[in-house]
Amino acid sequence: MMSHYQSEALKILFSAVVRQNVTPEVWNWLNDKSAQTNNSQQFNIAFVSVPRKTGKSLIRVTEEQEKSLRKEGAGLSIALWTIDRLCRVWLLANADSTDKAQYFQTIENLFLAAEVNELVALYSALPVLAYPEMWSKRCAEGIRSNIGGALEAIMCNNPYPAAYLNEQAWNQLVLKAFFTEKPVEQIIGLEARANAELTKTLSDYAHERWAAHRTVNPQIWRCTGKFIDKDIFPDMERLAQSENILDREAAALACSESHYPPAQELLNKLPGIKSAITSGELNWNVLAEKIKNHVLQS
Amino acid sequence: MCCSHNITEKDIQPGTQDKSYLERIKGMQFFDPHIHMTSRTTDDYEAMADAGIVAIIEPAFWLGQPRTGVDTFRDYYSSLIGWERFRSSQFGIKHYCTIGLNSREANNEALAEQVMEILPLFVYKEGVVGVGEIGFDDQTPAEEKYYRLQLNLAKEAGLPVQIHTPHRDKKRGTTRSMDIALEQGLDPAMVIVDHNNEETVKEVLDRGFWAAFTIYPFTKMGNERMVDVVKQYGTDRIMINSAADWGISDPLAVPKTAALMKDMGISDEAIRLVTYQNAITAFAQSGQIDESDFATVKNVDQSLKFSGNTILRGGQQPRTDKSSIIIR
Repeated sequence: MMSHYQSEALKILFSAVVRQNVTPEVWNWLNDKSAQTNNSQQFNIAFVSVPRKTGKSLIRVTEEQEKSLRKEGAGLSIALWTIDRLCRVWLLANADSTDKAQYFQTIENLFLAAEVNELVALYSALPVLAYPEMWSKRCAEGIRSNIGGALEAIMCNNPYPAAYLNEQAWNQLVLKAFFTEKPVEQIIGLEARANAELTKTLSDYAHERWAAHRTVNPQIWRCTGKFIDKDIFPDMERLAQSENILDREAAALACSESHYPPAQELLNKLPGIKSAITSGELNWNVLAEKIKNHVLQS
Repeated sequence: MCCSHNITEKDIQPGTQDKSYLERIKGMQFFDPHIHMTSRTTDDYEAMADAGIVAIIEPAFWLGQPRTGVDTFRDYYSSLIGWERFRSSQFGIKHYCTIGLNSREANNEALAEQVMEILPLFVYKEGVVGVGEIGFDDQTPAEEKYYRLQLNLAKEAGLPVQIHTPHRDKKRGTTRSMDIALEQGLDPAMVIVDHNNEETVKEVLDRGFWAAFTIYPFTKMGNERMVDVVKQYGTDRIMINSAADWGISDPLAVPKTAALMKDMGISDEAIRLVTYQNAITAFAQSGQIDESDFATVKNVDQSLKFSGNTILRGGQQPRTDKSSIIIR
């Protein structure tokens, strides 16, 4: 599979957003530095000193540009990026990748000595690096981090993990996202990469939380619908009887994706929610929005 | 570290905590320009935030036992700009650091050579506000060699220098540290001489350097003495820090000293200068301190509301009720 950034259209879009957010002097500086990226020392210095040149304010990006980026970049979103993050990713995307070994070492060294904001930029750049399959171990390593910003850079609006992580690493990403209370609706490929093993793990996780009298994010059932079987079904029954409407809606949504006959029967016992699902009034994204508002209010 | 005073029965009794001083410094903001948070707990971070500490500098130092390889230095520097910076942000405290090879470990020359090679990788990083803490411990030729080399590095990078002055033979060690800084062509306005006392302060100020005072029980300054220093020398180029580390030290030394100064009739403005502003002025010469960042890291609510999106939440840690025997 080609790196997402090999798309020329995406490259042009990216440059346009950078350009409208920096002064002409900074734009020239970036281009000058990216031309020297076969010199790893120069590249290091450029990468490190980006915020000195650009500041750290949030970028401006038009709706139109966001839409095009999502399309060209397989769901990529940069709306909440800061300018230093954007410019660092741009530098990485434009780095000279002719010599594969040197390219790998240069970027790997940036990871090894990265401060917090650099880590965020480096992980954000995964979908635009050359030789994408080469970075899957690095991505899996990043999921082991406990630094919130680094985790979000990997998990949220980033198309790389779904495209390149093996199942074991992907399942870690999803589990850790729930564990660390990340906005899981921003995980690209959450439903597409659902699997039986993950379903079992998430169910165990829910049982642990219940045993500890802790709440469970109803979105964890987002990954389980297609894999409901005799082991998972009791969880659905439990949710269907929950006092929390969000739990009942999650159960109905999961059951609506299942071909397991008892799940279909259970869905029929929740007629109000079922019709909301059929009419398109309720789906996982709507539920995610309700959960977010619920959390903000509590 | 405590080691040499005469211990009496009274000294080893468990203490009681009187936090009423917090009332007297309510609303004040503090900057502790020397504290080793790597060696401290989350309880300390909570107490520091509660006492009004909004930002800190963590100098690279000796971890209590010698390191045996360059990789452990790399990981330590990395943790100062990575993990510890993040940990601090969870409590709403902006974390900066200074990076350097400490004097004790400069004596392992084979290792020191390798450490010198990786220092440039770190000193240019965002939030690195100086080269430090460097200087003399035993005042050996190896210490002098790496002290000079690191002064050159600071000069080249345009960064302030944070100088650790020795515990033993302090007065001469301090004079010598300043002599060498001038010989290497540094501007004294870019050099913060740390761990001063009544014996060293006059020369440091007279020669145009910044004078930092470490409020550290038993071995360095006590804060009653500090009040007298400020009364005698005023506030120009004077700053206070805790240098709290793995020894018996106090991460609240700066706010406590502010409270004591207030009790002793020192003006609020003078307190602000020596417990906040002067340190910022000195280290902001790095171009790496932006006071508006203190509010950003602190104000979790503001970012929470941004576009109703939780992604910008600072990820601050929920508080636990310390007085309860129930842990949930």
